[in-house]
Amino acid sequence: MSIEVKNLVKSFDDKTVINDISFKVDDGEVLAIVGFSGSGKSTVLKLICGLIPYDNGEVITSEGDIAMVFQYSALFDSLDVADNIAFALKERKDLRNKYRDDEIRKIVSEKLELVGLKGIESKFPSELSGGMQKRVSFARAIVTKPNTILYDEPTAGLDPMSSTLIEDYIVSLKHEINAASIVVTHQMSTITRTADRVIMLYDGKIVFEGTPAELLKQETPYTKQFVTASLEGPMQMQA
Amino acid sequence: MIVLQKYLKQSATYKIFSHLLVVLAGFLETLGQIAQLGFHTLKCVLKGEIDRKELITQCDRFGVSSLPITLSIVGMTSIIVASQVANEMVKQGGGNFVGMLMTILIVREVGSIMSGFAITSMIGSSLASELATMRVTEQVDAIKVLDVDPVRYLFVPRVLSGAIMMPFVVILASVVGVILGAVTSDMFAGLSYRAYFDSAGLGLFMKDLGVCLLKSIVFGAAIALISCTCGYHASGGAKGVGLATTKAVVWSFISVVVLDMVFAILFFF
Repeated sequence: MSIEVKNLVKSFDDKTVINDISFKVDDGEVLAIVGFSGSGKSTVLKLICGLIPYDNGEVITSEGDIAMVFQYSALFDSLDVADNIAFALKERKDLRNKYRDDEIRKIVSEKLELVGLKGIESKFPSELSGGMQKRVSFARAIVTKPNTILYDEPTAGLDPMSSTLIEDYIVSLKHEINAASIVVTHQMSTITRTADRVIMLYDGKIVFEGTPAELLKQETPYTKQFVTASLEGPMQMQA
Repeated sequence: MIVLQKYLKQSATYKIFSHLLVVLAGFLETLGQIAQLGFHTLKCVLKGEIDRKELITQCDRFGVSSLPITLSIVGMTSIIVASQVANEMVKQGGGNFVGMLMTILIVREVGSIMSGFAITSMIGSSLASELATMRVTEQVDAIKVLDVDPVRYLFVPRVLSGAIMMPFVVILASVVGVILGAVTSDMFAGLSYRAYFDSAGLGLFMKDLGVCLLKSIVFGAAIALISCTCGYHASGGAKGVGLATTKAVVWSFISVVVLDMVFAILFFF
């Protein structure tokens, strides 16, 4: 077990966004969290990595780092690509004095090579395309060899080829570092190409749990509505 | 009863009171945030957790890039004050005290308070919008997820650079102010430079210089801390950045005046 979420509850003001959800993700497994916009998918990720506190429940993670790839990359725009990737190595308390400059340069180069972007160390985020920024944020996330990786809509807003590239990285990272991964997405290709299991959120609750193949079978009203992207069904879009 | 409650809820008095309560709650919340982040920053500084490279970058931003506007504002204020004071004092036979009056005024008040305003408008607004943009684009979240203390990384170099550089800016601005006061007195009231500078040092004591330095350190740290705090707690998109910047400027202006008053009461009453 690498991530276990038990009876998680989170409310903002009077609205309960996450309402008593539980799930597990094992090492080397990719769990996709799907659902319509506003169903609380990204909130789950933020609760797991501690960016926002939960009201009730429990999040248990194995020892080690948690990394997150943000929806809009969240690269530090005042730092170049090399400094972005090396950020944790240079600034984190337990790593700050661990590596020499040449070692950091080597690690940065390796990570960039891994995401197919060798030689762009001195470029700034504003000089990169959306897909390249996303890949740099991948490199930044894995620099500390995390055992849990959270992806917040990793393929949103990307062209189909860039999406495929990102999906391939998610799968290859799963094999390479055996991390437990959670991918928040509503893109079908990302679900089918990366996920081992899928949970669907609606109104703060899990309304479906199964494999991508089971999702595609559309055996429940929820899966049917999601896969066919229909406005008719049990899930109502929020006004 | 229900009708009365309904009427009260719709009445202008109720709306004004509820708005006042919201404003008061917001004021207290901001005060709490400034205190909390200020304490955290101080803790990091005392532990020596300072990024020297970033500190130098921020010192350059705080002290060097703000210098033209600060010198201009303090210099022009000194010209305005001297043009009003010198003529009248010479007419009343007090020409020999113009230099003393101008120096006391500039060293004790004009230099630090006008520099505070200039730094707020230039550096404070820039710090607030920078951190607010980082907040709304999830860069602050990224810092946290990478297990780096955002206060150590963002606040410490900025607040420390404010405390370090502000005294230099104020001293330089005050010197420029005193010199421009002499030039103005000569031009508007025909007061000789010699008469001006002979009296310039008469009313100035070490206490004045000490308080001026201490005040500028506190002003610099306060402006940077308030601006960073407002930016750090921004929310929403572009509108949130704008609101945070406005809030930072307003709070910094007020803090400069309030702190100046506290110094005046503590040291000159």
